[in-house]
Amino acid sequence: MSTSLPDLQQYVGKEFGPFYSWDPVNAPMIRHWCEAMGDTNPIYTSDEAAQAADHQQLVAPPTMLQAWSMVGYAGDRAPGSSSGSAFAVLEVLEAAGYPGVVAVNCEQEYEQYLQPGDEIYYKAELESISAEKTTALGTGFFATEKSTFYNQRDELVGTMRFRVFKYRPGSRENADG
Amino acid sequence: MAELRLSKLAVGSKLPELSIDITPRLIVGGAIASRDYQNVHHDKDAAQALGSPDIFMNILTTNGLVGRYVTDWAGPAARLKKVDIRLGAPNFPGDCMTFSGEVQACDTATGEVTVAVAGNNRLGPHVTGTVILHLLP
Repeated sequence: MSTSLPDLQQYVGKEFGPFYSWDPVNAPMIRHWCEAMGDTNPIYTSDEAAQAADHQQLVAPPTMLQAWSMVGYAGDRAPGSSSGSAFAVLEVLEAAGYPGVVAVNCEQEYEQYLQPGDEIYYKAELESISAEKTTALGTGFFATEKSTFYNQRDELVGTMRFRVFKYRPGSRENADG
Repeated sequence: MAELRLSKLAVGSKLPELSIDITPRLIVGGAIASRDYQNVHHDKDAAQALGSPDIFMNILTTNGLVGRYVTDWAGPAARLKKVDIRLGAPNFPGDCMTFSGEVQACDTATGEVTVAVAGNNRLGPHVTGTVILHLLP
């Protein structure tokens, strides 16, 4: 089956984006997030508490990094965004007989705290794709997308590496990892 | 919210455990707060059609809960630098996830602390990983 695949490495390292956010970082979305997460850290809701912790004003939870530029309910990217996807290789694998997908790792690094008014955009690339591997789930490929997030001054604010396993379900007897 | 000082920590220091009930309210609320409208996070029929027994928590919510767990302990002056997680068993409604954590490294020169975190539900580890943060000396 894998002999029918194109060279997957050709998808690595091509940059996609920018992908913009529908809204600037804002206090209401931060508060909704904190309510759902049960996060009572006062630097996310109080300017005074945030200033006491050496921020200029209230800040967003760093783990919201990805949330700002999500497509949302309608599924459309924010105006001005590029088309295309750094994970296009997953569609190639799907067509080649690897229908399963499972998220494996998510690594976020934060360069600065985001505050209301910040306008976040990101660029993305397929950072790596593995050789074919067999795991307890089946046979397939590990693919890592790297997203790099910037603010309205084009300052790097964070990075995210998201790794998935795209696979053809198999029997556990064949597992080697 | 108490302020944690680096000088109070040592490698092996434990974080207090935190148990979180996994409810449809939390799964759907977390998905919407993170602007994630994938149907498997709010539509049980759609989730079952894809082979899952129920809706399940999205990754952004898991990230948010991991960040909350660590800063609940570290206090408002802490700065999160990195959340690096490995995903395991899904969080389904009716389950309960219990976080535990332990200091793996702390550098008194830079203020950098590395915490190993695990969130386990009845199926096993939902999330394991490390969080790096900066604390006051």
